[in-house]
Amino acid sequence: MNELVLSFARKLHNSSSYREIKSFVRDLIRNDKNPYKKYFDLTIIFLIFTSIFILVYEVKEPVPHWMDTYDLYVVSVLFGLEYLMRIWVVNDLSEMVLEEYQDAKFLGKPFKITTPLKKGLKEKLYFMVTPAAIIDLLAIFPTYRPLRLFRVLKLLRYAKSINQFVEVLSNKRFELLTLLLLLLFIVFTAGIAIYVLEEKINPNINSLFDAFYWSLVTISTVGFGDIAPVTPEGRAISMVIIVSGIAMISFATSVIVSAFSEKLNEVKEHRTIERINKSDAFLIVCGYGQLAKMFLRKEGLSSEEYIILEKDPERVEAAKREGYNVIQEDASRTEVLKRFNTKNAKVTVLCLIADDIENIYITLTAKAISRKIKVITRANDSSMVKKLEYAGADHILLPHEVANNMIHIAITQPTMYKALHAVLTGKDVAQIYEIHVGMHEELVGADIASIEFTAYKLLFMGIHRNGEFLFNPPKETVLQPYDVLLVIGRQISLEHFRNMHKGVVSWG
Amino acid sequence: MGMKKILIFGYGHHGRHIANGLKEDGYVLTVVEQNESYCQQAQKDGFDCILIDMGEDAEILKLRLEQYDQIVCVMDDEHYNVFLTLSLNALMEGLNIVAISDSVHVTHKLRLAGAKRVIDMYEVSANRIHNILHRPIATELLKEFVTSKDGISFMEMEIPEGSFLHGKMSDEVNFGHYDVLLVGLVDFERHKGFEFVTAGHKHHLDAGDIIVCMGEVEKLRIFKKMIAKKDV
Repeated sequence: MNELVLSFARKLHNSSSYREIKSFVRDLIRNDKNPYKKYFDLTIIFLIFTSIFILVYEVKEPVPHWMDTYDLYVVSVLFGLEYLMRIWVVNDLSEMVLEEYQDAKFLGKPFKITTPLKKGLKEKLYFMVTPAAIIDLLAIFPTYRPLRLFRVLKLLRYAKSINQFVEVLSNKRFELLTLLLLLLFIVFTAGIAIYVLEEKINPNINSLFDAFYWSLVTISTVGFGDIAPVTPEGRAISMVIIVSGIAMISFATSVIVSAFSEKLNEVKEHRTIERINKSDAFLIVCGYGQLAKMFLRKEGLSSEEYIILEKDPERVEAAKREGYNVIQEDASRTEVLKRFNTKNAKVTVLCLIADDIENIYITLTAKAISRKIKVITRANDSSMVKKLEYAGADHILLPHEVANNMIHIAITQPTMYKALHAVLTGKDVAQIYEIHVGMHEELVGADIASIEFTAYKLLFMGIHRNGEFLFNPPKETVLQPYDVLLVIGRQISLEHFRNMHKGVVSWG
Repeated sequence: MGMKKILIFGYGHHGRHIANGLKEDGYVLTVVEQNESYCQQAQKDGFDCILIDMGEDAEILKLRLEQYDQIVCVMDDEHYNVFLTLSLNALMEGLNIVAISDSVHVTHKLRLAGAKRVIDMYEVSANRIHNILHRPIATELLKEFVTSKDGISFMEMEIPEGSFLHGKMSDEVNFGHYDVLLVGLVDFERHKGFEFVTAGHKHHLDAGDIIVCMGEVEKLRIFKKMIAKKDV
């Protein structure tokens, strides 16, 4: 037995396709960022809705046979498969078996197949008793009609707001539980009291259940009126439970409201992050100071393109007033940056905080999460440049130095200053552009003379190739793949050039 | 062009770097400070430093402002820069003042106070970030071109009287022959502003026009000497 299971586990362990399929399914089911999850979810939602439609339709009209078959077999089988898949990916039994085996061999003790299997199955069982899994299980069986109502409940998984609602309420578990116990206590005592006092006199109260039903209807202030006390003692009890009912309802309301107002910010921030995570590329602006303000004003980004992280609540408020996408978080914390979709999206972190040490820390945090995250950071002191470089910053910017250089140019080369200012601020006159040749067939292998830059009214400055800049290379120079051409010109000239050479990427 | 005479107010964060940069380029500078330790530092670095009280007009007048081509206000305290710009303009008209600012409001005030050019530290930095995001290679290269003392750089030069360029059309001259690129020019015939060659106009080059060229610094220097000649 041991040997059989062990060899089977080994087989699975060694089969790369098995592991690939399993990790794909796991990702599909669990990872919100998986591109196929959307389709998977939509399919399930479609099945749920069609099944509910048939359920409702059935109430009055006879359903066609094919619909019944669909509901009985297709939906149920697919739900069953989904359920099995969810249980399958809870853990890796085969890995657990092998691990146990290796540990046993290492320690020289006898290997028992039951230990890892027990442990693994226990984990699966724990998963199976979670509310969501129970709903999934009940939703599979179509034969008993009322059970099909559970299919509606399956939708809960896809309603994020309900998840958040439950999450918010679970924070007030203690208060709500206390309230519930109190409620049960009053319902119980009042129910027994009315049963004892009126069972013989009141024709509507025939059982203890009636009494509890009346008590709950009264305490909730619903008061259907189908059962009403007839004796003075019974009415006295009613009065007491009505008053306590009002008190309890207002208490419950205030608990829920306070839970929400406490959590509202968090929920909002969560939404903001979720939304931005859907973009393919976005900026994380750390710190909302002078530089950030100026930058955001210049860029005019849309809300899916950036997010501001700021620690100081006052500055957060200021940014909110300006209508910026801002959340109050400390960007130097790993958990904060990890909430962003750094795996699939092109993320650029801008450290614009006035404190250099904090900028270094954020740079390190970002680079520790993923080398792919691009970091542009500000430094106030030139002694920090080395440290920032060491931390892995892609671009370091010294506002003082930039300003000093501009002043220097303004004094030494006033004409140049105007030109440069125009280029830097993106005025319409002209810009410096990068033309990325890539693998473009028409351009790779062509010599410079054949690309008539002057015809496009572009001034060709040179080629950036393998990290080196070839200034004004001779006309016979042949373009190589992934060269970057630097040109000066107006935007319309560049667009014209791009239209004539479809597939060429340009930046600027 | 004779070397300009420059007066710098402030030898703090910015003043120190700017002054040293200009000194390397061979400019004649005078530093004015009101902080004694900064002034001593300036003197230690080899500058003429005058210690004055910026609040006193009489002391400012003693500086004989008219002898300077360029005045630079780069004190550490922005309020002083605004105040100083205002006093200078009140004392003497037509001064060529460059000032530094650290916010939109200060920039606006400096303009009102009469500064010819205001460099907003955060504005230029914000632009730099924009450029890094949108054209990283060009930005890096441009930074090198602008700051480099040897490699490839920009240079502006006035066409002297009797130059061989005088009277020619801008597209007639083969700048590539001299290993330089004509980037743009100020043509006094047309209008006063700077225009890039890519704007598409043909320019008639005259003595007095300013051309901006790009190339290796050595080649640019040679070219600058060459344009003074009648024939090549």
